[in-house]
Amino acid sequence: MDEFQIGLIGSGLLIFLVLIGVRVFYACALVGLLGMVSIVGWTGGAGNVGMIPYAKGTIYSLSVLPMFILIGFLAYHAGMTEKLFDAARKWFGWVPGGLAVGTVFATAGFAAVSGASTATAAVFSRVAIPEMLKYGYQPRLAAGVVAAGGTLASLIPPSAILVIYAIIVEESIGRLLVAGFIPGIVSAIIYALLIIFMAWRNPELGPPVKGFSWGDRIKSVPGTFPVLFVIFVIFFSMYTGTTTPTEAGAMGSFVVFIMALWSGMKWNTLKGALMETARLTVMIFSLVWGVLIFVRFMGFAELPAVFAEWVVALPFPPVVTMICILMFYVILGMFMDAIGMLLLTLPVVYPAVIGLGYDPIWFGIIVVKMCEVCLITPPIGLNCYVVAGVRPDIPLQEVFKGIGPFFIADLITLGVFLAWPEVITWLPDLMIKKF
Amino acid sequence: MVGNATENTYQDDSLLSKLDQALTKIEDLLAFIGALVILGLMIAGTFNAIGRKFFDTPVWGYIDLVGLFMVAFSFLAIAAMQRVGGHIRMELLVRRLSGRTLWAVELIGVLVALSIMFVLIYYSSTALVRSIELGDTTIDREITIWPSKMWVPIAFGVLIARLVLQTWGYLRLVANPDLTPIAVPLMHSEAELADKEIHDTFGDDETEVHALKD
Repeated sequence: MDEFQIGLIGSGLLIFLVLIGVRVFYACALVGLLGMVSIVGWTGGAGNVGMIPYAKGTIYSLSVLPMFILIGFLAYHAGMTEKLFDAARKWFGWVPGGLAVGTVFATAGFAAVSGASTATAAVFSRVAIPEMLKYGYQPRLAAGVVAAGGTLASLIPPSAILVIYAIIVEESIGRLLVAGFIPGIVSAIIYALLIIFMAWRNPELGPPVKGFSWGDRIKSVPGTFPVLFVIFVIFFSMYTGTTTPTEAGAMGSFVVFIMALWSGMKWNTLKGALMETARLTVMIFSLVWGVLIFVRFMGFAELPAVFAEWVVALPFPPVVTMICILMFYVILGMFMDAIGMLLLTLPVVYPAVIGLGYDPIWFGIIVVKMCEVCLITPPIGLNCYVVAGVRPDIPLQEVFKGIGPFFIADLITLGVFLAWPEVITWLPDLMIKKF
Repeated sequence: MVGNATENTYQDDSLLSKLDQALTKIEDLLAFIGALVILGLMIAGTFNAIGRKFFDTPVWGYIDLVGLFMVAFSFLAIAAMQRVGGHIRMELLVRRLSGRTLWAVELIGVLVALSIMFVLIYYSSTALVRSIELGDTTIDREITIWPSKMWVPIAFGVLIARLVLQTWGYLRLVANPDLTPIAVPLMHSEAELADKEIHDTFGDDETEVHALKD
């Protein structure tokens, strides 16, 4: 049996183990071990695999993850959300569906502080939905916009999932995080335009909220300064290369931490946030080194290279292959968490995508956007469950119905990114040229 | 946020349950150490960036120290996460199973985990011994590495203890599916997972947000 055949059998075994519910990192590590031992023997194979957990679990660049995760857990307690939403509704309330539009931009602002989609959806379910319902907005729209707005957190830096992508494909974390900024804003603008169009066609969906003077608007701006400060600290320090992503994340979380203390955060809350951060961090790290053991085996088996050659030789234009890959992610995302899905598939899919001539940074943003779409689509659609959980008065099926237009908006956004890749690559390319 | 990290096991007066509770304390202590190191990294990262940029005085050995201390949040909470069933998996099939079949499939999952963890604890231990014998140090500040490497077999050892308890827990359920599940994590519905996300976001703060002033 040659290496390639061992690689195929190993991949089949991995799929089997994952399907029967074995936790992904154990499955990857075991298959990686068996594969390596089959190819290079016990001493070389097991010895090689045994070194990976410590070697990969202590890579400095990975230390940014707990910083971003911690920000997500502390952000709500920093007391910035209500002021952010207040400013957004005063500036955007006058347009058709104005409060919903304001919610989109407020979630985008919060997303620039927190990298957690579900946390963003939970926070704005509390802050924005009561306000929208008070002004007679349809519950379906109010819930849909919050669930969809939450997904912006994974694109706009800081984003934990983009860091994981960068680690697995060995791309620059800083460039990927910076690259997520404009696509996040474009997604928000497309959501906003969609709401304005829907509310203009059917004013009962969400009436404009008028009566705010320019004085009111200007007075609301200082309330957003803490958010702008955190954005400045994280984004510009990475963009200019002043700090490493870990330091940027540390400074961002430090600022949010101080603000949370200032807002009266108790020790129990802080301890809870730290413990959850530790658990989530270890879960991601285990997955990373488990997958990297499998990747080592795949490298020896040369399977990704052969798969990439096969994909490149397909008699279709690359864009058709790319759309098929994206469809595959939509289906897989129905059954699996985004991080697990990315880590399991990237080792094989990524070389093929690069072989087709696509940009690594561009694909990272696209694939993370796909993961976010899975957060609002049934059957998992965790953001929708979160909104329904915070607002028991809005049934889950109403939330899923409300998300429909935003799903279409996401498809349009993906179309924009496919047609004009520069939307994604322009800013990180500029970063390289300038710094 | 992802992962299923709520405490969700039953307890009784059995030996298994007592061992489960004792191990839980050790796991939570290790996770707490990981949590404290995360807090430390936040402070050290901030001071290093500010110190280096504005005062030309970075934290001594910052990169080396982060690499050495990272082991705390990379590994120490690994058993705590296993206890609550928090490591990612695909539940497409197991959600459709029940009774003895479900427990048997869960048992296979734990045995797979045990088999790989035995290999990894052996090699992480030999790496530790080699590191002590050779006196490995970091490249930049020449800090001794083995105290960092030591935590990997410790974390894996606690994880193996957890996996052994779960094997025991699943075995008794395979033998008699009518028993109360002890020392094994239970699956959550999406709605329960969402409840956990909501609690993680708001912590103990149960206050409702009042309507904004116009």
